[in-house]
Amino acid sequence: MSPKSRSAYLFVAPAVLLFAFTILVPIVMTFAFSFYDWNGFGAMNFVGLDNYARAFQDRIYWSSYSHILIYIIATVFLEVLVGLCLAGLITMGRKGSSLFRIAFFTPVMLPMIVVSYIWRFVYNSDFGLLNSILTAVGLESWTNVWLGNPNTALLAICLVSGWVYAGFYMTIFYSGIQRIPKDVYESAYLDGATEWTIFTKIKMPMIRGLVDTGVMLCVLTGFQAFDLFYVMTNGGPYNSTEIVTTYLVKVVFNNMSIGYGSALAVIMTVVIAVIGLLAGKLQRKDNSLEY
Amino acid sequence: MATAAWNIEKRPDDRVRTGKQYPSKILYYVLMIILSCFFFYPMIWLVLSSFRTNREIFTTPFGLPNTIAWQNWADAWNVGNMSIYAKNSVIVTSITIVGILLFASLAAFAFSKLKFTGSKALMLMFVFGLFMPLQSFFIAQSYIFERLHLKDSYMGLILPYIGIGLPLAIFLLKAYLDSVPKELMEAARIDGCSNFVLFAKIIFPLLIPSMATVGIFSALNTWNELLLAMLYIQNDELKTIPVGLLAFSSRYTTDYKLLFSALSIITIPMIVLYVFFHRYIVAGLTEGALK
Repeated sequence: MSPKSRSAYLFVAPAVLLFAFTILVPIVMTFAFSFYDWNGFGAMNFVGLDNYARAFQDRIYWSSYSHILIYIIATVFLEVLVGLCLAGLITMGRKGSSLFRIAFFTPVMLPMIVVSYIWRFVYNSDFGLLNSILTAVGLESWTNVWLGNPNTALLAICLVSGWVYAGFYMTIFYSGIQRIPKDVYESAYLDGATEWTIFTKIKMPMIRGLVDTGVMLCVLTGFQAFDLFYVMTNGGPYNSTEIVTTYLVKVVFNNMSIGYGSALAVIMTVVIAVIGLLAGKLQRKDNSLEY
Repeated sequence: MATAAWNIEKRPDDRVRTGKQYPSKILYYVLMIILSCFFFYPMIWLVLSSFRTNREIFTTPFGLPNTIAWQNWADAWNVGNMSIYAKNSVIVTSITIVGILLFASLAAFAFSKLKFTGSKALMLMFVFGLFMPLQSFFIAQSYIFERLHLKDSYMGLILPYIGIGLPLAIFLLKAYLDSVPKELMEAARIDGCSNFVLFAKIIFPLLIPSMATVGIFSALNTWNELLLAMLYIQNDELKTIPVGLLAFSSRYTTDYKLLFSALSIITIPMIVLYVFFHRYIVAGLTEGALK
């Protein structure tokens, strides 16, 4: 056993101090702010739980949760499920699949803000790619002001998220499928299994753990979405794409209600923490059953 | 389907000889090419549109532009202060990465190989940091930075970016060091090396491959970060690419050819980098997110 080392503190000090200063202290302060009515520079009035009471009656705040929920459910399909199917397609052992793999992953490389602008143009009602294609194939009646219509705006954003991250999840599942021993496939091929059966009976069950992780990652990062919503619609039209992050920025930096914004942020943190813990529990159970 | 899998008559060799594979092969490639278009065409469309005039963008959304108008790019680069934004992004990202890798490797070494009181608690703090979303601290952080006059400075972005990047970096580097056998260090210790020499001579070189993974992941996150950069930087001379683009687009809302050009200028280098280093980038991104 090596003795306790005092120099260890010197090694951890920079990281600990910087983390405490930039993350830990602000978390504690946000919690404290949430009990005050305060605009950031005037007097701080202690109001107890008033901000929380107000949050529970804030319609826009609650609808922002339902929007993020729709977004998360949609992206689990559009990102994780599509990614899984793409991984199945590129591991069929045909020529050129590595080229397709590179192509599908490319959108992940783009800054989210660039993605948002590209797709704002794709959805543009006057010259956008989507309406142009619909007109070109004679479906003019289907054209739409995609981001200006409260019925389509949220789903339009979900699709963009799928466009970016499907390739990302594909890559994760691809590396999992690559690790499956070759002889498993060989015996299946000898038995005359079709590609579809190999996908559903071998590839999918063998990377089950990765798929679970993927879903969890998709849910937890879904809550942190911001760039895409901010640039594409900034919550509009008629708050139909308002999510917690965009709403928080409006409350704190446009309305200067720091106390109220802090309460909203604390609720959000608790929600994410609970989901993270639940997901962690579920996953541990799954893993113990797997093999 | 499942029963077909066990059908002995359908041996793989038979399938090849009957030539029944050709339709399925064609179908496969048609599907893959359609999918590639979906993932790739928006980017090609963006670049092609950047060479058009504003009028052409409206009248002929498809096909090749009449002339390759490089002038559009030059204009966007000059009026958009793009060189300044690019310089700022490079400065902020590189200092952040050096900070994350240096502080995280020092801390990971202490957590993995040295004994000290409180090591468990401090490590737990960083694990907790892995799950904390930006929303839970940015309100108070913004207040603190305002008070300390850190806003509108490089440090105002570098410090929080390092803080955000540290937990994952420490976690990954510690996991790697845990797998390094103790004997390697014992020998050095017998020779009378201090912990600092040990770190510099043995641990740091060992960590370089893992640092590449962590570095790529953190670099892309930092390069693309929008929310904090938007809240903390008002001075146009200090804006990074994402915020700069935001300012640019609000100034030239209707000058589509300039916007398309600006987006292309930002997108193309990233795609070129990706094509050359895709193996490392893909590994960096997926491993970074999975752990």
